[in-house]
Amino acid sequence: MTSASSSRKRALAVLGGTAAAVLVLSGCAGGNTGGDDNGSDAIIVGTTDKVTTLDPAGSYDNGSFFLMNNVFPFLMNSVPGSAELEPDIAESAEFTAPTEFTVKLKEGLEFANGNPLTSSDVKFSFDRQVAIADPNGPSALLANLESTEAPDDTTVVFNLLAENDQIWLQILSSPAGVIVDEDSFSPTEVTPDDEIVDANAFAGPYTITRYGFNDLVQFQAYDGYQGLLGTPKTQTINLRYFADQSNMKLAVQEGDIDVATRSLSATDVEDLSNNDNVTVHTGPGGETRYIVFNFNTMPFGASTPEADPAKALAVRQAMANVIDRAEISDQVYKGTYVPLYSYVPDGLPGATQPLKDLYGDGNGGPDVDKATALLEEAGVTTPLAINLQYNPDHYGASSGDEYALVKSQLEESGLFTVNLQSTEWVQYNEDRVADVYPIFQLGWFPDYPDADNYLSPFFRTENFLVNHFSDPAVDQLIAQQAVELDEDTRLQMLGEAQEMVAAQLSTLPLLQGAQVAVAGTDIDGVSDTLDGSFKFRFTTLSR
Amino acid sequence: MAATPVVVNPKGSLWSRLPLVKQLAQSVGLQRGMLVAGLVLVALFLLTAALAPLLAPYGFAQLRDESGRFGSQQPPSAEHLFGTTVSGYDVLSRTIWGAQTAVLVIVVAVTMSLIIGVLLGVFSGYFGGTLDRILVVVCDAIYAFPSLLLAIVMSIVISGGQSSLLGGIMSAAISITVVFIPQYFRVVRAETVRIKAEAFVESAKVIGASNMRIMFRHVLRNATRTLPLILTLNASEAILTLAGLGFVGFGIEPTSAAEWGYDLNRSIADVSSGIWWTALYPGLAIVLVVLGITLVGESLNDLADPRLRTRHRAIASPAAAATANEVDELEKPE
Amino acid sequence: MTTTEISPSAPLDGTTTERVKGGGNLGRYILVRLLLIIPTVFILVTMVFILMRLIGDPITASLGGRLSPDQLEERKEAAGYNRPIWVQYVEYIGQVFTGNFGTTISDNRPVSEVLLTYGGATAELVFYSLIVAFVVGIPLGLLAAYLRDRWQDASLRVFAILCYATPVFFSGLLLKLVFSVWLGWLPVSGRASTRTELDLLLLDNPTGIYLIDAFRTGDMDNVWDVLAHAVLPAIALGLLTAGVFLRLVRTNVIGTLGREYIDSARSRGVGELRLVRKHAYKPALIPIITVIGLQIALLLGGAVLTETTFEWKGLGFILVEYLSSRDFVAVQGIVALLAVIVAVSNFIVDIIAALIDPRVRY
Repeated sequence: MTSASSSRKRALAVLGGTAAAVLVLSGCAGGNTGGDDNGSDAIIVGTTDKVTTLDPAGSYDNGSFFLMNNVFPFLMNSVPGSAELEPDIAESAEFTAPTEFTVKLKEGLEFANGNPLTSSDVKFSFDRQVAIADPNGPSALLANLESTEAPDDTTVVFNLLAENDQIWLQILSSPAGVIVDEDSFSPTEVTPDDEIVDANAFAGPYTITRYGFNDLVQFQAYDGYQGLLGTPKTQTINLRYFADQSNMKLAVQEGDIDVATRSLSATDVEDLSNNDNVTVHTGPGGETRYIVFNFNTMPFGASTPEADPAKALAVRQAMANVIDRAEISDQVYKGTYVPLYSYVPDGLPGATQPLKDLYGDGNGGPDVDKATALLEEAGVTTPLAINLQYNPDHYGASSGDEYALVKSQLEESGLFTVNLQSTEWVQYNEDRVADVYPIFQLGWFPDYPDADNYLSPFFRTENFLVNHFSDPAVDQLIAQQAVELDEDTRLQMLGEAQEMVAAQLSTLPLLQGAQVAVAGTDIDGVSDTLDGSFKFRFTTLSR
Repeated sequence: MAATPVVVNPKGSLWSRLPLVKQLAQSVGLQRGMLVAGLVLVALFLLTAALAPLLAPYGFAQLRDESGRFGSQQPPSAEHLFGTTVSGYDVLSRTIWGAQTAVLVIVVAVTMSLIIGVLLGVFSGYFGGTLDRILVVVCDAIYAFPSLLLAIVMSIVISGGQSSLLGGIMSAAISITVVFIPQYFRVVRAETVRIKAEAFVESAKVIGASNMRIMFRHVLRNATRTLPLILTLNASEAILTLAGLGFVGFGIEPTSAAEWGYDLNRSIADVSSGIWWTALYPGLAIVLVVLGITLVGESLNDLADPRLRTRHRAIASPAAAATANEVDELEKPE
Repeated sequence: MTTTEISPSAPLDGTTTERVKGGGNLGRYILVRLLLIIPTVFILVTMVFILMRLIGDPITASLGGRLSPDQLEERKEAAGYNRPIWVQYVEYIGQVFTGNFGTTISDNRPVSEVLLTYGGATAELVFYSLIVAFVVGIPLGLLAAYLRDRWQDASLRVFAILCYATPVFFSGLLLKLVFSVWLGWLPVSGRASTRTELDLLLLDNPTGIYLIDAFRTGDMDNVWDVLAHAVLPAIALGLLTAGVFLRLVRTNVIGTLGREYIDSARSRGVGELRLVRKHAYKPALIPIITVIGLQIALLLGGAVLTETTFEWKGLGFILVEYLSSRDFVAVQGIVALLAVIVAVSNFIVDIIAALIDPRVRY
């Protein structure tokens, strides 16, 4: 018995040891979680966006541009709080001839590594974009650039193909317009991130001092920066990357990070808005969500047996009348997406709301009677069966909820029966351009914050939707506004274009995303950067 | 291992009896308790799946009834006993309907892998040669690879088309099948290789009996001892893989079918916001079903293995111990 | 997630036995097993190569929602994805043989660097989990065998099944909620706190294994911080394997206890617990070694879910990311590495098993 009991003790000791080890570990963790700050007032920002590469020639996405906008200079940019473009590291930037855009750089610009920043760097930056033309890069935005010249150290001349391109200013502030150091970047291929960081080839308000790819990045203010974004209010910013929204939510809730930005789920935001330790900041957003109609394959579309443009139009208009955007915004997105009644999101110059007047009850709500009358008049037998397709993995998991609700709304009108299907992203894109989906979901995030970017890729005859919408009048209007020098006339044209499309409904806009950032109550300046430029700048943040 | 002559179960094939009844009678004490508990859980699971349309208060994709929309993330109430999800579905209904999806996927996955695995195993083992070698190495490679990762890749390949109910279930089931086939293949092939060397097969060949018929009969008779265990293990594994697929976002579309893994995925944000009811029930459903199936499987395994049968019977005779060693060798054929 | 001990870790007799038949020569056995690693890895890489080409290309994945079909085609053409698949395959295999795993398509990083960074993280997680599995599974398994057929045994067995039956993402969620959010004892997610990671970023040649790196910083706070971050993921993943170990130890100890030499010891009046400790313990551990080989595959599979749940940036986690961006190069590289790891660990286990028990090699 003695041996038995001693062995039992030993067994218990083993178990006890395990428990003790766990407790010791947890105990020391308890002591540690509080002391997360590095230095005195460093601010930790969290994001779920991902970096593709720091090199502007190799990436064309929000996550990478987020970094670039904070560490690289631009010729054009906007001050925090505004989306209006002004010369950034340039003294002036203007058309000196219809196809000649001349930029004068400020004097004495330098990269953080001491290399002078001259017109030759600018020419180099644009030349390499075009030369590398990386499949993941933004070189397509430079389609209108014929050549770049650097006649002297502070002068850059862009020779353009089309005259008076009003979008050119925007391009200069886009991922294609980032200025890099000619001594640190390769002219012919994408430069690895580590080499960029090692070369300290930065000249934005911040430099990157420690770089853990898609994990943790440390930024230090660069005092040689003379641009628009202003003097950094905080010396050190740490950026932590999260893969999972709810982990980031818990981190900001527990104080492990100070600011959580793109993106938090609607549930998280709602819960955090009731939390006294953090503040939810919102600003206008440039993201849109819409339904695309394939003009060939939708009910009564051009290539269907019962093709009838009038009936097809009636179907689109009936759907526009039945959809209740406010309900989707409230139930699915808890206000993190708001109703969108045009093609250009509210907040951008030139945005109008034609769909509010044209469809529904006139106040943005649905109007089933109007839809019923429309279909009756057109001679469409109801309920009409439609196929609706969405993608569950690219625009967030809430897409499933959004489209379940759209289906429910359409069916409750008694006018439609909806066959709702989803397809994963890559297949989805192959199918949608091959006329597989008659009616389907898409979303958009702008290349540059200008109304043009919400119209010209979509509604010209040659559009990326490939939904066979074509209207010569719209084509012409979009082409004209792009070269219109007078701002007011241009805005008027943009409004007109939106109305023309709204009447025909090439797509049915549903929602517009709001920019949301959640920050500890001791953090200032978050709201200052949440403007219509959709750029998150570190310079405004302070504790 | 190959040295041991085949012992054809003298009492005849298990299939000819009612397996569970026999084992239930055989078991005693706690062992019986575990088997019964497992059987009850499995029965509940199957009943829930079969009667889902009657049991569930609402449809799995229903967002509103006569009195209006359910609303999202509503706490449990009289109308919604388990509350509603972030999507505005009724949690109770989706949990119940989820049983149906799970059963469908298990049945399709296990049946397909059983048929394909057994056929491949018998043919490969019988004919041997280069094809056999290749199949063995391929199966080893698949078997060695993390199954969930393989299932994810397969589900992308298969679900490339549309996400209908059938499509979703089939793609989940096929992804799981690919992972399982090697397990059946291994067991059946080993058995085939062994039996092929047996004298009576040779003699059957001489008198001109159909080889394949003999093979199948003997192989299956011998394999029935291990296959039920693999079957139950695979059934529980199928549920976990299905849930894993749903959780990482490669599962079935929510308006096509209710699936627990998907619901769990969508409830992550809820849990950290204090909304516990959306995660708890689908999570518990997975745990209970896997628990039930595994209890049955382990009990069957114990009862088939005399050493593990409850003690006073297990080591009763040297003969039993000898059989036990054979089982041991069969099961660990290295 | 294979928990059965029926399935052997080595290939069934077939190829192996036929080739080494009659030899009984350990050196030859090792050589054959070693050579078998090559086709295993080769087949997996080939399978993945073909599968990846079936599920779309990285350019559509990243820019499909922005560019027109013509522009996409142009870029695909330029990147060489429109060439016949066998041409691409030959090119790829050629590169692999020269030791060049290429550069990831979606984020332009050398695959070798990706493997090193994330492989270290996964290795670390798997290592911690194995510790948890051993520490929990083996003593409890012995206890269950010792108390067999009593209620404690039944509870331990149900516990073992529960360990295996609870999906990692569910248990992970609960652990996080209880220990991080409610009790505040442990960090929510990640591999280290910001402060520690900044220190680690200063190291010259980071190993990617944070515990080692933390020691190298010379700051014990960093070490504790790294360990604290590892507790919950290690438990979530470790319990999965602990259940398997528990069950296996119990079965094998009971099995050994039934053997004749134990019977004779028992008849000599040796106590049951002494039997467990002195006689049944060691032979019962041998199958565990065999099963570890299988568990590596299981753990790597489970690591995908654990890493996602706990923001543990390892191979499984990054593989899912690269899969969704259809990054052929990255996925192929990671799969090849995983295949090598699994094959090599199986190889080692087989050799150990062969050394312990000569019957294995006939």
